[in-house]
Amino acid sequence: MEQSGTSTRLQAAVQDLASGVVSALRGGGHAHVVPPVGTDGEAGDLALAAVRVLGADALLPGLLSRTPPDPAELAVFRKAVEAYPPRGDAAPTVRWSHWAMARTLRRADPSSAEPPHEPDTAWLDGATWQVLTHQLAVLAPLALPGEDCAVSRLAAGRPVDVARGFVRAVRRRDWRQAAGAGRWLTLLPGVPDTVGLDTGLDFVELMGGQDPLVALQVQAARRMRTGARG
Amino acid sequence: MRTDEKVQEVTGIQAADIEAALDPAEAEGVYRDSRQAAALALLSGATKLLLSPPTPRPKKG
Amino acid sequence: MSAPADPHRTHRIAGALRAAAADALAWTDSRRADFALGEDALASDGEVDRSWKPLGELAQVCATVARLTEPADPLHARARGLLDFAWQETHEGELFLRLQRLEPFATYPLEVYSVFASAGLRHPAFEQAGAVVARTRGWRLTEQDPTRRLGVLRAEERCGIHRFGQTPPELPQTWLGGLPEPWTFGRDAGYALTHVVFHLADWGRDASALPPDLAVYLRDWLPPWLDTCLEAGLWDLAGELLAVAAIAARTTGEEVPADDWRRLLAARGPSGEVPLNDRDLDELAAGPGSDGDRYFLHHYHSTLMAVFAAVLAVTRPAGRAAPAAAGRPGGQGAPS
Repeated sequence: MEQSGTSTRLQAAVQDLASGVVSALRGGGHAHVVPPVGTDGEAGDLALAAVRVLGADALLPGLLSRTPPDPAELAVFRKAVEAYPPRGDAAPTVRWSHWAMARTLRRADPSSAEPPHEPDTAWLDGATWQVLTHQLAVLAPLALPGEDCAVSRLAAGRPVDVARGFVRAVRRRDWRQAAGAGRWLTLLPGVPDTVGLDTGLDFVELMGGQDPLVALQVQAARRMRTGARG
Repeated sequence: MRTDEKVQEVTGIQAADIEAALDPAEAEGVYRDSRQAAALALLSGATKLLLSPPTPRPKKG
Repeated sequence: MSAPADPHRTHRIAGALRAAAADALAWTDSRRADFALGEDALASDGEVDRSWKPLGELAQVCATVARLTEPADPLHARARGLLDFAWQETHEGELFLRLQRLEPFATYPLEVYSVFASAGLRHPAFEQAGAVVARTRGWRLTEQDPTRRLGVLRAEERCGIHRFGQTPPELPQTWLGGLPEPWTFGRDAGYALTHVVFHLADWGRDASALPPDLAVYLRDWLPPWLDTCLEAGLWDLAGELLAVAAIAARTTGEEVPADDWRRLLAARGPSGEVPLNDRDLDELAAGPGSDGDRYFLHHYHSTLMAVFAAVLAVTRPAGRAAPAAAGRPGGQGAPS
C-alpha cells in the first residue's frame, strides 16, 4: 500500500484526538474534540478524518457524564458522519462504526434523523472466539451502558468467549484488543468471576497505556464499571 | 449528499484510508516468557533448581 | 451457545489421535537406548536430569497408557514393554534402594519409584527404607514448591505411606489452586499448573478427582492458554495443556479441542516425534554430524506428553456420561 504516509498521519491524528478524550474522561470535563475554529485545508481534513475513525468515542465523555455536547463539537461530528459514509463494499466494522456515530448523533441531538437500519451481524454468527473478540474490540465504541444493538446482543450471548479473548489479547501483548475487550466485559452478564477484570484493566493500562487508544478504552471501561456500581 | 463527490471534497485522506483504519487486521502476538527458571521438576532432581520439562541442552564442546 | 457434539468429527479426531499416539510411542521405543540409565546413574556428580528424569517420565506415561488401554490394544503392548524395560533399567527396583542409601533425604527416588509402584512393580525393601525417612519431621518440612510437594504427597500415597485427599492443604498455595487471574498465565505458570493437575489426577488414574471449581476454571481458561502456546510454538507445554484438557473434560464433559490438536500434530517431525519448541530447531538441524543426543533431548519429553495427552483424550473411564450438554455456558463458541 503506497498510502503508508497517509495512514501514519491519520493514525497520529487519531491518537491526538484520543488523548483529548482520555483527559476528559479522567478529568470529568469536556474534551474539545473539534479542531480550532477556522481550520481548513489539510489540517482540517485530517482532523475530520480522525473524528470519523475514532467514531462515537469522540463524544464519549459527554455521553458518559450525560452532558450535552458543545454545538461546535457536534457540528464537526456531524460533518464527519456525512463526509465518510460507508462505501458499497465496506467491511462490517466500517458500517457498524458509522451506524454508531449516527446513533450518537441522534442521542446528542434528538432533532437529528433516525439512525439508519442496523447493519447485519452475519459476519460474526459463526465466528471463533478469537475473531469475535478482535472484531468486538474494533467496535468497542458500541459498548455503552444502556445501549442495545445486534452486536451487543450477540456479545451478551458469548461472555465467556469474550473473556477468553481478553486473556488471549493480554498474553499476546495486544493492548488495544485487550482494552477493547475489557470494555465489553464490563457490560456483559455471565463473565466468569475468576477473570479479575479490575486488576486486568489496571494491568493493560500499565503495559499499554502510553498508547492513547489503549488508555481511552481502559478509562471508558472504568467509568462504565463505576457507573454500574454507583 | 452521500456521494463520492462529497468524499472527494476531503482531499488527501481517501475513503480507503478511513476504511482501512476502521477494519484493522489483528496485530501479531508478542511472546516473551521470563528467564527466571521455574523451580520445578517433573519427577526428579532434588539437588538443583530444574525446569519442569526442558532438560538443559548438553553443553557444547 | 455450545456446539452440539458432532459424532463424525469426534470419530475422526479420535482416529487421528490414536494414530498420533501410536507413532509417537513407536518413536519413543526406537530411542530406548537414550532412556537407558548410564554409568553415572548413581555417581555423586551424575546429572539426574539426564538419567532418572527421562526414565521416570517414560515410565509414568507408559504406566498411564497401559492403565487406560485394553490389553489387546497395540498401544498397550508397546507401553507395557517400555515400562518393563524401564523397570529393568532400575534392576527391578534395586537401584532405588542403593540410591536411597546414597541420598536418604532426597525426594526424587521415591517420586520415580512410585511410578512403578502404581503399576504394580514393587521393591518392598526400598519402600520400607523410604517409610523410615518419611516419618521424620525433616522429611515433612523439606523445602519445596507447593506443586512439587503435591508430587511427593502423591508418591507417598502410591507407596502406602499417606493418603491423598481430593483437596490437599498445599493446593491453595499453588498458582492454579488459588484460581488466579487467567491473564497472568505464562510459560512458567503453565508448567506449574499442568503438574498440579497431573498430581491431583494421579496421572490419569483418578482423572475425575479434580475439585469441581478447578475443573470449571480450567474449562473456562484452557482455550486461550492453548491457543497462545500453539501460536508461540511452545509444543511441549501445549501438549501438557491438552492432557490437562482431557483430564478436566472427564468432569466437565467438554469435547476434544480438535483444532488445537490439529495444530500440535502439524508440528511433528518425520517419525511422529514432537519438538519442545520452535527455537533451536534450526540449530539442531544444522548441527554437525548426527547429533542424536541433542535431538533426543529436544524431543523426548514433548513426544511423551503427546502420547499421554492423546491417550487421555481418546479413552474415557467406563460408565462416564455423554459430553457437553447444550446451553452450558462454558461450552460457548461457534463450531470451529
